[in-house]
Amino acid sequence: MQAALTVSGLGKLYKLYDSPRARLRALLTGRDTHRPHWALHDVSFTLERGHCLGVIGANGAGKSTLLKLIAGTLQPTTGSVRLGGSGRVTAILELGAGFHPDFTGRENLRFASALIGISPAQAARLEDSIIAFAEIEEAIDRPVKTYSSGMVVRLAFSLATAVEPDVLIIDEALAVGDQHFQKKCVERIDSFRRNGCTILFCSHSQYHIRQVCNAALWLDGGNARLMGPTEMVLAAYETHVRLLDANMQPTEAAATDLPAAAARKVLDPGRRGTITEVSIGPLGQGAPPLLQGDTLVVSVVAQAAGDEQPNVAVMLEQVGGVGITSVATHVDGAHATRQADGSWRATVTFPELPLHSGEYVVSAYLFDAQGILVYDEWFKYAKFLYASPARLPGLVSLRHHWS
Amino acid sequence: MQSLRKEIASLWSARSLLAVMVARDLKSRHAGSALGFLWLYAQPLLTIGAYFLVFDIVFKLRLGEGAPTRAMGAYLIVGIVPWLAFTDAIGRGMVSLVEAGALLQKNPMPPVLFPVRSVLASAAIFLPMIVLLVPLYAPNHGFSAALLLLVPLMALAVLTWCLLAYALAILAAALRDVIQVVTFVLGVGMFLSPVLFPLTMFPEQLAWLLWANPMTPTVLGAQGILLKGSAPGAEVWLTMIVWPALLAVLLDRLVARSREQLIDWL
Repeated sequence: MQAALTVSGLGKLYKLYDSPRARLRALLTGRDTHRPHWALHDVSFTLERGHCLGVIGANGAGKSTLLKLIAGTLQPTTGSVRLGGSGRVTAILELGAGFHPDFTGRENLRFASALIGISPAQAARLEDSIIAFAEIEEAIDRPVKTYSSGMVVRLAFSLATAVEPDVLIIDEALAVGDQHFQKKCVERIDSFRRNGCTILFCSHSQYHIRQVCNAALWLDGGNARLMGPTEMVLAAYETHVRLLDANMQPTEAAATDLPAAAARKVLDPGRRGTITEVSIGPLGQGAPPLLQGDTLVVSVVAQAAGDEQPNVAVMLEQVGGVGITSVATHVDGAHATRQADGSWRATVTFPELPLHSGEYVVSAYLFDAQGILVYDEWFKYAKFLYASPARLPGLVSLRHHWS
Repeated sequence: MQSLRKEIASLWSARSLLAVMVARDLKSRHAGSALGFLWLYAQPLLTIGAYFLVFDIVFKLRLGEGAPTRAMGAYLIVGIVPWLAFTDAIGRGMVSLVEAGALLQKNPMPPVLFPVRSVLASAAIFLPMIVLLVPLYAPNHGFSAALLLLVPLMALAVLTWCLLAYALAILAAALRDVIQVVTFVLGVGMFLSPVLFPLTMFPEQLAWLLWANPMTPTVLGAQGILLKGSAPGAEVWLTMIVWPALLAVLLDRLVARSREQLIDWL
């Protein structure tokens, strides 16, 4: 199979000057006095058609540099980027960057089309569908300065994805507009992928990376630390982050002792779904309370707009960091049930809890009907103590037998 | 000259985008105003009118021997139109890269498009004004064939502006102070050119300063053609070629040294 994208030995050196004056001197005399900084160093990989690569890493790890080098906005210092197929690359790095506030949406659309290499004839053909997708029919002939920020990014996203590319580059851009439009964006990107478009996706949302990508690349200090199947790379990255946090914050227990309400995310009124209650049990007394028996029951109550049946996920972690398990209705094929007052309730039971003694914390998430968008999350909301009959050290009791 | 050749090649392959950008630049110069595109012409015409009023009508200045014409106003207009075109093109071209920073960081496009766009948009405003001067002056010398030389003269001038604007845009990207210095120089530069007074009226020991002004040959050439219907002399054509040649060498170096980093400086 022909590679859609081949990146070999890609590197980017930034020349850091002590002052802009030194920069001008270097420019005029050719004598360089810079300090070198490799933002990206010797990164190589190959992607086939239809593959989706998630790029993860801390801030400053070189994610954006990598995407910009592939998009062609930055010139590489070493190495090369080779594109297969027709070589059309669309980069969603920042939406609406080229828009002029005094021009109408339609005028900006025409200019921005030329900018991304759409011919005037093709732009004229696509115009109606772009405007329809952005849902700004009535505002299209008004100056862009009268638009809300949501309208601007909707128009820009709609244009950027009007022509299906061979390689699509997305830099943290999925948070586009309201949740209704976000869903349309995710669906459009998903349909590109099904049609064979290769996607590079950089996000801090590990949920979205898990959802969309079949491979992940972990960048660390400009170097490729690990590349492989998404789950393997994410697991390694999560462990790394957790170790880093543990080293940097020895008093994390103090941080998680905050009142439960403080961990609740503040909800904006325009949300399409909210969690209204999370309860765990059966619990006894104490702070945190002790789980009674060996069965944990977590019940999540939520509100959703209209008749949408939301999905619910529950995550169980050891306090201080180690994740134990996550379960979700859309993964298990289960459903939240409608209550008499119109709210939704999902209850998950973990019988014969195979945990060792310790302190545990539960997070709850609310998703849309497809399990794509996160409507709400109550992160590390409820804590409990568990006293296991097992007396030996450990985290979970695995099924085992001796021979 | 490898770097410059690459720039020219990328400019050529993006020529249709360049045309769109020039049209948009012209439009953005008057976007949101009630008079619209009239402002493109009102601004320079009012400036010319002010100079005409002060020098020709209020002070009633008349030029002496050695000047191509006696009337100060007639002399002034021929030189000031190309001069205003030059300051407009260089002023806008110089800041074009800095202003396009956000766009260039997010879209893969050759930076050279921006200064060239600014220069061509300025030329699109001012060159028609020079053409309009032809019927005003040509009857004095019976529509001399030398008028045709305005075409190569202005073509060489626009080429020089493109090279100079791009070079200054790169320097301004490296150090923003360049913008302040050049804006000042453009402001006083007219007094170091033959726009207001003929070459013969300058002290001889300062004549080199006049030739250090890249607009001196253009202004001299335009004055000769329009006022007297005579072809510009060899010194005009020579400097009209030496300027772009020197700028091309400088620009080639600047592009080669800044190519990899330019976008990061914006």
